[in-house]
Amino acid sequence: MSGFCVGLQFENSCEIGVFSKLTNAYCLVAIGGSENFYSIFESELADVIPVVKTSIGGTRIIGRLCAGNKNGLLLPHTTTDQELQHLRNSLPDQVVVQRVDERLSALGNCIACNDHVALTHTDLDRETEELIADVLGVEVFRQTIAGNILVGSYCAFSNRGGLVHPHTSIEDLDELSTLLQVPLVAGTVNRGSEVIAAGMTVNDWTAFCGSDTTATELSVIESVFKLREAQPSAIVDEMRKSLIDSYV
Amino acid sequence: FAPYIQVEYIAVMPRKPTSRGMLQNPPPSTFSRFARSQALIASAYRSKRKINKSKFYKKSRSNFSGNGFENHASDENSEQAESSDEDFDGVVQADFAFFDPKPSDFHGVKILLQTYLDEKQWDVSGFADLILGQTTVGTVIKVEDDEDDGVYSVVTALNLGRYKARNKFCTISLSQPAANHDHKCIEEIKEFLRKSCKEEDIMNNLRSYLGEQAQDVGLLISQRVVNLPPQLLPPMYDALFDEVSWATEDEPTEELRNSFCFKYYLLISRIYKHKSADQQKRQKSDEAIVYVKPEDEIFHKVPTFTEVSHSSASDSFNLHLSSAPGPSVSICALSSLYLMRQEMLKDYQLMGLVMAVEASKVQ
Repeated sequence: MSGFCVGLQFENSCEIGVFSKLTNAYCLVAIGGSENFYSIFESELADVIPVVKTSIGGTRIIGRLCAGNKNGLLLPHTTTDQELQHLRNSLPDQVVVQRVDERLSALGNCIACNDHVALTHTDLDRETEELIADVLGVEVFRQTIAGNILVGSYCAFSNRGGLVHPHTSIEDLDELSTLLQVPLVAGTVNRGSEVIAAGMTVNDWTAFCGSDTTATELSVIESVFKLREAQPSAIVDEMRKSLIDSYV
Repeated sequence: FAPYIQVEYIAVMPRKPTSRGMLQNPPPSTFSRFARSQALIASAYRSKRKINKSKFYKKSRSNFSGNGFENHASDENSEQAESSDEDFDGVVQADFAFFDPKPSDFHGVKILLQTYLDEKQWDVSGFADLILGQTTVGTVIKVEDDEDDGVYSVVTALNLGRYKARNKFCTISLSQPAANHDHKCIEEIKEFLRKSCKEEDIMNNLRSYLGEQAQDVGLLISQRVVNLPPQLLPPMYDALFDEVSWATEDEPTEELRNSFCFKYYLLISRIYKHKSADQQKRQKSDEAIVYVKPEDEIFHKVPTFTEVSHSSASDSFNLHLSSAPGPSVSICALSSLYLMRQEMLKDYQLMGLVMAVEASKVQ
């Protein structure tokens, strides 16, 4: 069921990863976008995982404020009680929703995680780090990416692959790849934007990118996150429909 | 960078500003689309201060000398803005340079065009591509040797009849000719204009400008950051009209040469109109119309023009620019400069202004 959606815009902005959060167990979407925005998410995901419309702390930049995976969801202290309750009600029971009292409240910018490993901002509190390990069930590493401490912004990774800031050196790529145990590639999204996680959102079987993403960027994303069917014959079969062998 | 990052709690902002243009705003406090688009336009100067901690400067306003173009094929033309103060919070030297549009300017130009058609969701990217594809006419203003390569202003004129989409493959149905419809973004602009026009008599004129006469109409696009020094405006417009006349001589094909022989320029812009039309209700000192861009006043006063005034479709027009701190509109008569504060604008209503100006009168 690999799928791929492109051409997404949230009110004329191509920064999909700012207004949505996608994991293997749920998908959060910001309120206030056009119906087209939700319908694309819903058409891809609705029968598999819940798509929940929400705000966090009254804002719509939910993708950058929260961090989560299939085990849990971490919210900043600015989250209101109603929002917290709404999320607890809407998400599956096995997802632990936890509000974190952390000075660095843009958790989505500070934490990048999949279901097994998390990379965090170097200045994160020790209590928060323990909470991440507890709630999300991951191993936590304090890292930088291409010299940037906002690891949550400059990389996006799933359980199958990851995309990092284009200026990441080869040594860093190797080191991160060993930590995360997934293949990594340095690239851009949304026509050269380095802020990977703001421009796209991904889980194990599908990814959503902003509409400015070029075909080259798309093919890199498809290959590193292993979104296309792996067998080469699938590609040929698809191409065959558009190839004209002969004119009668 | 995504414009809605919460600034207050991020421990360290990335030291190197991103290359995506300079308009990083503090998040607006309301959800209203209108307030957000206003914040986008009006708070650009404030975000400039936050962006680069290593050089904290205010925009300089001193005079500077302009050089004419050396030859019309040249790319750059430097405008020097001198600093009167070397101190920390004084004015800074900024060398503005005029460049031909390049594909790498895409993100900066796109940000400037975000609010071109109010809140309508349309193909801004395609439109930015069209502008950047036309290198012979069009100017992008950037700061010289700026590491971010931020775009501060974009000015160009696009022939409305020229941009037709071409299908790469033959259409299946042979009865229809090969695609001759406009690019999607041009279509959307025309649709927006048709929808906003309320008056019947102007509608006929508008229809002809967008339809049969489209070949003679140039869409004059002029978008800039709010606090761009007004001294740059005369050379900017001079440059544009010069490039248009040079293009009519220099373009390689006759078709292109003719496409720059504009009879009319169409401008889409914004004004603040006083809410009470009655002269007595207004204070004597209040103007009936406040122009967001000062050159609009000049275009507006050019004789024989057609004006279509439209209000944006979105909600709440009371100018709650509380999300944009500081002076919300800066107006510059080309000889003098004064700033209007929010309180002064409370009696005004923001409206869109579309003008069609005869080309002979402005060139």
